[in-house]
Amino acid sequence: MPGVWGRKHYDFGVTVTVPNPTTPTDRVILHVDMDAFFAAIAVLDDPSLEGKAVLVGGTGPRAVVTTASYEARRFGCGSAMPMAVARRRCPHAVVVKVPGERIREKSAEVFAIFDEFCPLVQPLSVDEAFLDMTGSQRLLGTPVAMARQLKDVIKRRTGLTASVGVAPNKLLAKMASEMDKPDGLTVITSENVDAVLTPLPVGRLWGVGPATEATLHRQGIQTLGDLRGLSEAALRKRFGDLGGSLYRRCRGIDARPVVPDREAKSIGHEQTFAHDLAEADEVRAFLLGHTEAVGRRLRRHGCLARGVTVKVRDGQFRTVTRSATLEEPSDRTDVLWARAKGLFDAWAAAGFVPVRLIGVSAGPLTRGGEQLGLFDAEDRDKRRAVDAAADVIVERFGSAALHRGSARPSRRRG
Amino acid sequence: MKVICDRGALVDALALVGRVVVARTPKPVLTCVKLTGDADTGLTLEATDTEISVRLASPRVEVGEPGEALIPADKLNAIVRESIDATITLSADGDVAEVTGSDSKFKIYGHPPGDYPAAISFPGEPDFTINAGDLHRLVAQTLFATARENSRYAINGVLFERTGNKLAVVATDGHRLALANGKCKATNKDDKEAKSAIVPTKALQLLLQLFDDAEQNVDVKLADNQILFKTDDAVLASNLVEGNFPPYSDVIPKDGDKKATLDTDGFISAVRRAALLTNEESKGVRMAFSSDGLTLSSRAPEMGEAEISVPLPEYAGDPLEIGFNPAYLLDALKVVDENQVHLDFKAGNKPGVLRTGPNFLYVVMPVNLQ
Repeated sequence: MPGVWGRKHYDFGVTVTVPNPTTPTDRVILHVDMDAFFAAIAVLDDPSLEGKAVLVGGTGPRAVVTTASYEARRFGCGSAMPMAVARRRCPHAVVVKVPGERIREKSAEVFAIFDEFCPLVQPLSVDEAFLDMTGSQRLLGTPVAMARQLKDVIKRRTGLTASVGVAPNKLLAKMASEMDKPDGLTVITSENVDAVLTPLPVGRLWGVGPATEATLHRQGIQTLGDLRGLSEAALRKRFGDLGGSLYRRCRGIDARPVVPDREAKSIGHEQTFAHDLAEADEVRAFLLGHTEAVGRRLRRHGCLARGVTVKVRDGQFRTVTRSATLEEPSDRTDVLWARAKGLFDAWAAAGFVPVRLIGVSAGPLTRGGEQLGLFDAEDRDKRRAVDAAADVIVERFGSAALHRGSARPSRRRG
Repeated sequence: MKVICDRGALVDALALVGRVVVARTPKPVLTCVKLTGDADTGLTLEATDTEISVRLASPRVEVGEPGEALIPADKLNAIVRESIDATITLSADGDVAEVTGSDSKFKIYGHPPGDYPAAISFPGEPDFTINAGDLHRLVAQTLFATARENSRYAINGVLFERTGNKLAVVATDGHRLALANGKCKATNKDDKEAKSAIVPTKALQLLLQLFDDAEQNVDVKLADNQILFKTDDAVLASNLVEGNFPPYSDVIPKDGDKKATLDTDGFISAVRRAALLTNEESKGVRMAFSSDGLTLSSRAPEMGEAEISVPLPEYAGDPLEIGFNPAYLLDALKVVDENQVHLDFKAGNKPGVLRTGPNFLYVVMPVNLQ
């Protein structure tokens, strides 16, 4: 049953957000590709390079271009080209080296932003990743709004631009991000997929390399529209298993899940107050509101937390964090709250001072199945039903609509 | 005291009683083993950690001079183990002991034997008697399921529950529960009232090693918050675990309407193979039951996936998918003594029951399939 495990997550999104659960909902997959990443870092670090043709790579006789800036690409320079060839094509290009350490640093900044947006991030390289944002619409708005917000945050925080493709699957998202580089934002939906794909040259299809492309050209197949004219049997006869995959891909069909190879480490909410809170009960109320929000996000993303961390900053800007491990991984609000409250109460008992910031996070996260217990089954089912019912109401009406009696709902939606 | 011992027998006896001795204690005498040489009873070894005490006769000895010795257990153990002789001589005078071989002589400074806690005794008649092989089975089929720590219930021990001639032994860690039933012989025929005790795991681990002669009979008695086990050559006494055992019969499902029968060995092999592609992040093995057979599948992120088909000689009920921690299944399958196991289920989020005949039952909670 390949893929079945991963799909549970999306099913959950369907049941909660769509009025008619029989309507299949598109996934929301983003492919984010940093524009000329190495060259852009070089320009960032040396603004005098701005607007110039830049080749990143070594200078030795056998050196190759790792990245060419868009100005250099206009002269026919590209990645993996021998540096000597690139310099011949673009003699006025500036050749620079970007230290690997600097690349890793900027890459980490970019991926940290991905993690803030989404717990399901599949990195493809240092500057490229898939994000599965299905179910985040309530929190972040339409898929286009999410993509725009992501691009803005990346630009503001790293000084770099990214091209983003938004689509119902990885194949289309990847193709979409390439369509409007640099600084692009392209959306492919199940409505426009046919119009977008059919005119494209076959070489643009993800997975079609030069050899396959040449074979297809020899058969007079130039566009994806042409390719769609072939039956699956004909494609299989010619290309074997690849034929079956071509048949699906040229129609924009791709069911592969986004498989994170390093998941978000934690999910957290925190809040800084305009005036320091002088009452422990007041702080507790906000902490409970944030804990409810964290629980909702865990459940929405199908994650379990192994532990809880509470962060308190007082009026003198002293920050303490206190962590506790859960007996077993959980996504239940009451379990998270028992720990968060315990941590906060211990801090308060040691000497409460007015609080400037309170926050709670749950992590590390796991997707491993939760081991059920023998002696708490009834209680557990009840708590779980409470969480599930509350999640549906909050999804629809916002956290102000429903929260635990003493809680001040988290300001963020969701 | 002077005793000539068969070295092999002494090595075994010292290893057994040595399991009770604690390495670090404010009372140095507790790091010792007490030896008693007696013309009638031969050589007896005793050790205690104050919770658990054991007394064991070492066979194949010749007592030259009766008496007692109190010797650091790890030293004596090492000397006897490393010795190259078939027989060695233990002698003691007060707190100094000597171990003599054909080419060696060790002098060990021990403690005055009178400093040792009182010898354990088995007071009066036993409550009941049980065949050592049966007792061994009851403990082996349950001991593995105990909890290491649990605040709510006293489940870091094994429950012995006897009603007349019936003995039920139960252990649980809150995720699974093992129950073994057996027969015993109550000393008093009118003794029909249910009696129960929670026995620490350490005592039962020792019991498994101590009473390995299936033909022997074991006398058992509850007295003064202790449980005592006695055979012809050994006595084991242990304090009981205080606290409440959870209401275990409440969590044994009786409403399973999906029933499967499996060959034990084939099932073990399939679970072991499916477990190869699980990890800390995704511990569960998915089991899909239907009249077509059983399919086990597992998936470890970034590692891969496994799928194994197992024939189902019998299946009754609707198809079912349920996930289990494979280690929990294997723990039970390892102690099963039948060629077939029977499984009962109600639903994917309800406990599963594994049984072999009337004498062994195992309840295991599933993992939520993601």
